[in-house]
This record gives sequence, C-alpha cells and structure tokens, in this order.
Amino acid sequence: MFDKVISPCRSRRLHRYFRNGKLTLLCLILTVIMFRAYLGAGRFGTPEKDLNEIRQTFAYLRRRAEPRRILESVSTASQFHSRVYRYADFDAARIFNDGDGGGVGELKRNESEPYRLGARISDWDNERLRWLRRNPKFPNFVGRRKPRVLLVTGSSPKPCENPVGDHYLLKSLKNKVDYCRLHGLEMFYNMALLDAEMSGFWAKLPLIRKLLVSHPEVELLWWMDSDAMFTDMAFELPWERYKNHNLILHGWDHKVYGEKHWVGLNTGSFLLRNCQWSLDLLDVWAPMGPVGKAREEAGEVLTRELKDRPVFEADDQSAMVYILATQREKWKDKVYLENAFYLHGYWGILVDRYEEMIDSYHPGLGDQRWPLVTHFVGCKPCGEFGDYSVERCLKQMNRAYNFGDNQILQMYGFGHKTLASRRVVRIRNDSGKPLEVEDEFGLLHPPFKSVKLNSY
Amino acid sequence: MSLPTPFSAQKRTSASLPSENGEPRGGAARLLPRGRQQIHKTFNNLKITILCGFITILVLRGTIGLGRLSSNESDGDNRLIIEETNRILAEIRSDNDGDGDEQFPDVNSTFSLGPTTISWDEDRNVWLQKNPQFPNYINTGNPRILLVTGSPPNPCENAIGDHYLLKGLKNKVDYCRIHGVEIVYNMANLDRAMAGNWGKLPLIRRLMLSHPEFEWIWWMNSDAYFTDMAFKLPLWKYNESNLVVHGYPDLLFIEKSWISLNTGSFLVRNCQWTLDLLDAWATMGPKGSIRDEAGKILTANLKGRPEFEADDQSALIYLLIMAKDKWMGKVYVENSYNLHGFWEGLVDRYEEMMEDWRSGLGDERWPFVTHFVGCKPCGGNVDYPVERCLRSMERAFNFADNQVLKLYGFQHRGLASPSVKRIRNESVAPLVDVDLFDIRHVMEHGRVDR
Repeated sequence: MFDKVISPCRSRRLHRYFRNGKLTLLCLILTVIMFRAYLGAGRFGTPEKDLNEIRQTFAYLRRRAEPRRILESVSTASQFHSRVYRYADFDAARIFNDGDGGGVGELKRNESEPYRLGARISDWDNERLRWLRRNPKFPNFVGRRKPRVLLVTGSSPKPCENPVGDHYLLKSLKNKVDYCRLHGLEMFYNMALLDAEMSGFWAKLPLIRKLLVSHPEVELLWWMDSDAMFTDMAFELPWERYKNHNLILHGWDHKVYGEKHWVGLNTGSFLLRNCQWSLDLLDVWAPMGPVGKAREEAGEVLTRELKDRPVFEADDQSAMVYILATQREKWKDKVYLENAFYLHGYWGILVDRYEEMIDSYHPGLGDQRWPLVTHFVGCKPCGEFGDYSVERCLKQMNRAYNFGDNQILQMYGFGHKTLASRRVVRIRNDSGKPLEVEDEFGLLHPPFKSVKLNSY
Repeated sequence: MSLPTPFSAQKRTSASLPSENGEPRGGAARLLPRGRQQIHKTFNNLKITILCGFITILVLRGTIGLGRLSSNESDGDNRLIIEETNRILAEIRSDNDGDGDEQFPDVNSTFSLGPTTISWDEDRNVWLQKNPQFPNYINTGNPRILLVTGSPPNPCENAIGDHYLLKGLKNKVDYCRIHGVEIVYNMANLDRAMAGNWGKLPLIRRLMLSHPEFEWIWWMNSDAYFTDMAFKLPLWKYNESNLVVHGYPDLLFIEKSWISLNTGSFLVRNCQWTLDLLDAWATMGPKGSIRDEAGKILTANLKGRPEFEADDQSALIYLLIMAKDKWMGKVYVENSYNLHGFWEGLVDRYEEMMEDWRSGLGDERWPFVTHFVGCKPCGGNVDYPVERCLRSMERAFNFADNQVLKLYGFQHRGLASPSVKRIRNESVAPLVDVDLFDIRHVMEHGRVDR
C-alpha cells in the first residue's frame, strides 16, 4: 500500500516498525494489567485511586523494611487513605495487616515431638491454695457455697464471611452478658488464636489452660460456644451438686461409657474446675488436636472406635468421648454427665416449642420444659454455610434470642411484640412507686446475686 | 537437505529468494516463494497473537475473575447460599415492624419520661436498708457502678458495623471485668418517641428506678472504646456531684459551643436530682415537631451548631447554660482525663504512647476512652473517610486488647493485625506472672507497669 507513496525499502522498514510497535503495545498492556493485579490498584478504580494505592503499597513495603521508623511511616501512611465516604464502597478486609513477625517460641514444632499445651505444672493445687491465702481479696468463692465462675466464649477477630454473622455474634454476646450479670458470673470473650496448630474447635484448649493458670481466683471455668444461647435466665446452676466433680458436661453415662457414641456428650457448654486434675486432662486431650497428620490420623481412630461417627478430622468432642470411654478408671469418678437440665440443648427439638413453653411453664426450670441453653449446632452463622438451611437457622436464632431477651426485658416492664419481632412493647405500666414492684420471676434482685454479707 | 526455518527465512532480506535447498512441501511448493514467506509470517503473527491472548486471559482471570466461565457445583452452592443470606438480610433490614404507625406527641401535649417521683432519695435509702445483701458500696468502699451501652436491634446497614459493635462490646466487657463494673447492653427501643440518641434517657431512668443498688449509672456510646484498661475513675472527686461529663467550662459558658460537652460517655448518680435533670432534659427529645422545633432553638443559641433536629448533647448544653444556677452546683465538667477522647488526635499516636508512657494515666498520654465520633460504621451520615475510620477503630481495639492480653503473654502483631504473637514463654510458675501482670493486682499493690 505504501509502495505508491514511498520507496519499497522505506515501506518495509515502516512495516517492521509497525510490527515492533504492535508487540511493544501488547507487552505494555500486559505489564499494566500485571501491575494492577500485584501492586493492587483495585478493580476498575479511578486513575487517582490507582495512584493512591500504588503509593500505599510502596509505603507499606517501606514500612516493612524499616521496623524502627514506625512513627514516620504511620504519619505518612495516614495521608494515603482513600477518600471513600460510603462503607458499601469499601472492602473492609483491606484494613487488616498481619504486621511484623517476632514473638518468642515461634519455631515450628518438630512433628515427631509430642504436642504440649505448655510447660508441665505438677503442683498446681498447692500453689494455687498458697496464692489464694496470700490474696484474700480475690476469693475463689463469692457467695455462700457459690464458686467464682468465669464464662468463656469467643469468635474470630476477623469479620464474618457471612454478612449477617457478626450481628448474631453480637446478639449472642449480649445474651451471655445478660445471664452473667444476673448470676454474678465473670466473663471473657476471646478473639485471639493463641496457637496456630490448635485451630478451629481445638482453639479452646490452649485458651482454657491459659485462663486457668492466669486466674487462680476462678474456681470453675465455663466454656460456651458462640452459637449457644441462654434461654432460661432464671436458672441457677446447682453448684453444690458438683462440689466433688471437676468436669461437668451434658451427656449420658450409658452413651459415653456403654455405647461410645460420638455425641454421647457435648463440649459446646461444659464446666471445668481449676485444679491439677484439669490440667492433666487438658494435657491428655490435646494431642489429637494439632492440625495436620496428628489430627487426620486421630480422626481415623475416632471414626473407627466411636459409634456412628462420620469420617472427618478429629474434633475435641469425639476425643473427649474416646478418652473417657477408654480411660474411665482414671477420669470417670470426677466427671459428671449432667442430663437433668439442658446445660446444652440441641436447638432442633426446642425452637418450635417456645410458644408452648410460654403458655405452660415458666423460667427457672432449665430442662425440656424451659431449656437453659439452646445450642445452634451446625448453623455456623459466621461462616459461609452450615449443615442446615440458612433461613431456618437465622429465623430460629432470632426467636431463641428474643425468648431469652423477654426474660430480661420483663424486669423493666417490656417484652418483644412476638418472638420474631425486634420491636418491644410495654407489658406493665410504669408505676409511681417503682420499688414496690418486683418483676414476675424475681430477676431484678435474685438470691443468687446477693453478696456475701460478712465481707462488707 | 533441511528446510529453511521460518526464522532464517525472516532474517534474510525479503528480496532474496530461498535457495534451491528448500525442499518443496505439500501444496506450498506450488505457490511462489514469496507467498510461502507470507504464510510463514502469518503463522508467526498468529502464534504470537494466540500466546498473548492466552496470557491476557490468564491475567484477567486473576485480577477481574472470570469465575462464571468455570463454576463447578460447590461454587454454585456457595452462590445460592450467599444469595439466600442476602435475601433474608434484606428482609430483616426492611422489616420496620409497624414503625410507621406512630403518633408522636406534638408541641402542645406534655411529654414525660414516666410518672413523677419526688421522694426517690428517701425511698431508695429505705430499700437499701431493707436489702443489705444488695449494697450500693462493695469491695470496701467502691460504689457500685452500672455501665450502660447499646445499639439498635436491627443488623447494621454495613456488615462491618456489626463487627465493630461486637469488638466494642468485648472491649467494654474486658474493662468491666477488670474493674468490677456491671454492664447492660441495650438493644430495645423503650420509648418510640425518644428514638435515636435520645433513647438513652428513658433507658437510664428505667435502670435507675429498677436498680436502687447502683450508685452510679455510666452511659457510654457504642462507638467509644476503652483504651486505658488500668485507669480507675477518680470517684472521690465526685462526692458532691451528681453528673460527671467531659467538657470545657469556658467553651460551655463563654463560647456556648455545641460541642463544649460530650454525652458519649458520662456518669449520673442514682438520686432524685438526676431524675429531675432527666425530666428537664427530655423536653426537647420527642420525635416529630417537638424535636424539630427544639433543633431550631438550639442552632440559634449554640455556637457552631449546624441545622438539624435536636440532639441530646446540644439539649444538655443548652439546659445547663439556661438554668445554670439550678444545675451547675452538682455538675462536674471533667477534662483532666479522657472520659471522652476525640479519636482523630489520638489514634495515630498509639505507637508513640507505647514507647513513652504506660497505662493507668487516662489522659492524652494514654487516653482512657477513644471515641469515634462521626464514623458511624453501623449506618448514618459519615463525616470521615471510611478507611481512616475502620483502620483507626481496629487500632484502638488492638491497643486496648494488648493491655488485656499482656497477662496471658500475648500481644497483637502490630496494631492493624487481628493475629497475636507470644511475648512470654509458657512458665512452670505462672502465678509469678499473675502478680506482675494482672491489672487488678497491680492496682491493688500500687505497682505500675507498662
């Protein structure tokens, strides 16, 4: 084509230039796309946003390389925030940054070495007793025959994958805060993964051990899953019943020791006494937990040995059944398998009966007539999906929450309009003499909350 | 003889013809040598094009995500579940539970928080004497305090809002456990007329009357975080006061600024004076024409106030200015420590604070409370870039959490990190660490530590 205008030589050169130009352009486009992907300039953002993000990444890299100059980097980084004013337009996951390494004892454990929860403590009972004597202001009994109890629960420090998960975690935490306030229990909400090897349901073991040894004033530690809710606010645990036991779980003797059934007990809500026996039990319980070969192989053993257990990696509950069933002489006499009330209550058989319970019974029973705990096993509102339909789980969790919340609100003369509704209505008129009105279930000033009279 | 390779053909100038070495192949032999070169060039271009196209697709998959092209069964399930969750969430959010059918009091009707009580001090004293097992002073001299906070009952407009409400509640639970303070988290709207920020008034009144055993009720916003876990309120300063609020007296009385006090974190004593204050305070609250009209009065009288309906903070400021003699005798305007600490000036200095100071100070060196005014992650009008808000809230939470985790031998891997790292090996004598690091023991024995 160009032959007519310019000489053949020149035209060939032009052709060559064009070809090279095409290749160059193509490579340039690829480079830009790669930059977008790896330096992170978002998805279809504006050029200004791209520039800001590139600057931010370099600032972060510079900060990583110069850990001592934290102060300067922090002030420079603050200029690079994007100017987004709507939360819906911003990906919140970007604010988290796993920062520097360091820390002690971070070396990866040699897999052939047995897993240890911590340094071996062998005289905990005496040490603890001596400490309690030295610190009379931190007694392990807070009332007549009432032990100091620490309720422990927790969830991940990162936002839930499910957009409604955090809302249910919030409600579940409020529910526990209410029960603990009424019953004079202390509470610890954990959001730290203390040991990366003991992840998932095993994370409670290092946490429990750490809390027991760091809080010698706590007599009983009550672990409760985040998907379990209190539905009987008036039920006080029968502490006297457990004075000779160190581990109290919901379950049945015949199912654990007889059938070795994998759901013969439930570790979603249990109590553990702060003593040497418990530390020893935790040490025996932990080895099936470390993620990887140990957990996989233990899972196979458990599926083989326990009744009806599906095939999956070892979980803490099956491991406990296995330990109790195979080492009963060592542990059985200090373990109380409670089934007189729902220390753990499987939600499937309870949630549809709440209206019936309201009609026929009253709080304070704790059992199938008015369950203490409704445990949403398998729902996983924080994760992406669970074993049950999303709609049933969310709606029922809402009902269980309102069922429990009604017992709190009635103290103040209010109640939810229905078990599905978040709106509250007055159930008792405001009186000119507020102190003459006690609430129906006596929860405003219950006997289990009163202080030890001789201390004050 | 070998064929001339495509490359060698291209290296030669296009003018030269291939040598007789070229073995004719297939149909190409019939074409002119120049045509064969053309075909080779075309093939080359095609090869490069296909290669580049392939790479582009790979990279685009990586950055933009062409997942739909290769969705397998589990992806499909995930999507279905996410869609269902979003549908239910939308249903929950849009369900306003008959909110629209409300008659709010108008300017002519009288609104009150409840039946008037005039003898609360005497009634309460009688009750306390009759119920010694619920004393208002516990643990050898400390008054019983109830911390009250809360949030609306519906899921936040933004899911991240609920996450920070959760972290905020954990933060308050930690402080309250360490200091023996009881805590109520309210998620119920007790009085439709006092919806929004005004909801704290009927709530505080209700809790005071139902719980005579509490000496102080401490209101704290859900967007305020404790950042000094070792700081104890200097309640001995407030023996003669019934309302303790953070602010500046000169801003209040001289400048009449609408931000001279902050009602995001304040204490009221459980007594008749407080009931009277709440009644007077509530007059500007009822939603509708009363609140709108009151808003105009407040904007006209307070410096710097924008035009919007009456809010509880401006109303309190106005009340204290207008009826100074009636109320100020029992009001303590506190600014010697951060009972409320505006976040913008504090959050960037946390690392500096960790290097230079220690917890227990409560003031600008180590703020007691960091209050995220204007961030509104749960929903509402946002005054600051959301990234700055979220990063700062995470930093404040981790800064406080570090003080709790110190007892257990862990710290966050940086203030932006949700992960923790060990800072102390597991010990065979953990009780030594308890005496050194448990904040309650440190306060008890008067020893201070970072």
